[in-house]
Amino acid sequence: MINNIIRNVFYFVILVLIQVLILNNIHFLRIATPFLYLYFIIKLPIGTSETKVVVYSFLIGFVIDLFSNTPGMHAAACTLTGLLRQPLINFYVGKDLVEGLFPSYTTFGYGGFIRYMLTFVVIHHVALFLIESLSFFDPLFLLIRIVVSILMTSLLICIVEAFNIERQKSGE
Amino acid sequence: MRKLLDFLISKRHWFIFLVLEIVSFVMIYRNNSYQRSIMLSSANVVTGYVSSVSASVNSYLNLRSLNKELLERNGQLEMKLLELQDQIDVMKADTAKFAGYVPDSTEVFTYHFVPAEVVNNSVSQIFNYITINKGRKDGITQDMGVVSDKGVVGIVSVVNDHFSVVLSILNPKFRLSCKIQRSQYFGSMIWKGRNIQYGSLEELPRHAVFKKGDIIVTSGYSAIFPPGILVGRIWNEKKNLDNNFYSLDVKLATNFATLKNVRIISNYRQAEQRSSEKEAEQND
Repeated sequence: MINNIIRNVFYFVILVLIQVLILNNIHFLRIATPFLYLYFIIKLPIGTSETKVVVYSFLIGFVIDLFSNTPGMHAAACTLTGLLRQPLINFYVGKDLVEGLFPSYTTFGYGGFIRYMLTFVVIHHVALFLIESLSFFDPLFLLIRIVVSILMTSLLICIVEAFNIERQKSGE
Repeated sequence: MRKLLDFLISKRHWFIFLVLEIVSFVMIYRNNSYQRSIMLSSANVVTGYVSSVSASVNSYLNLRSLNKELLERNGQLEMKLLELQDQIDVMKADTAKFAGYVPDSTEVFTYHFVPAEVVNNSVSQIFNYITINKGRKDGITQDMGVVSDKGVVGIVSVVNDHFSVVLSILNPKFRLSCKIQRSQYFGSMIWKGRNIQYGSLEELPRHAVFKKGDIIVTSGYSAIFPPGILVGRIWNEKKNLDNNFYSLDVKLATNFATLKNVRIISNYRQAEQRSSEKEAEQND
């Protein structure tokens, strides 16, 4: 339990720092920015209560908002994604998972994890960019930005996941 | 009743979800109003500190190119100085008794510059803001103009003790009164949200004369920027006719992606000009 809290805080701080100090400055071809901080929500242990997942998602979105001068936008998109996390896991992997596992290539299988992650990223990015363009609409450009950002974020998450050396507990 | 309660408790994440979404949308909504919340911007103490640490690391990385730019700028200014010195000498030689230029003692240059460093900068969003490391303690107030050594950058929108947030040209909320230097026709400069290198000059009268490459400068009507500060150059001659005005593409002089050092312009007569303009409007 305590281990999980420390792990979550560690992930939270590291991912926020990476996001605001490095990735927020990346604008691929001036249209796309990767949002790696989603990895935090994706990697929360299975069995975390849905209430907690929603609150954690809101918190990380809120902190990213503070740094990038976009009050509410990331928070709204993340809260939505956090709510849909459990149904997504149930849909792709089924309900019979041991509590305390972390979603990863080994626990979900390559296909399972990539499908789960991709759906996650798509929901988040569509929500985020739609909220951003509420007051400023340019459909084609919006579509390009969403698609390119989704590709970049997913690619980045796949890479980070492949190099993540966290020891996998085999269930407690 | 018991079952209902159980049901509600088992679905409590839905209620939390709704509450948090409402909180987020309230924040988004408040962000759109002019009074941006000071708490929720990168000008507050914690986020400002983190940003300034990262900026101080970053500033070492491009010292070389900055140094080169400064040297170039220095050279230009020196040339200018020599040129002016030369002109004065010529005038002195020309007139038997040189009265010179005696400035009127009531006429003072009302603008004052404060140098600052960019600690956080966004160019990829639709609404872009820049955070700088000078604040109220350095005499910065809302609505001051910000320029780089190349041209106009933006207007200060939120001020905190040590940091302030600048609304950059790359923000559809930004409007700036500009004129074509050669022909003195004026219009307003806005950004259309696509390319960070180009802005667009709107509300230019239909009879205005211009050609590609003409220099666009600030008009000075707003009392935020002094007249004659470089904004950009006309990029294409195509006249987009909308309503009764022309709109032109302008290549911005400032490169926002590498912005590092800026200067804040304070005009101590700005409040005075504003209040008299407001009074005139009320009298109408």
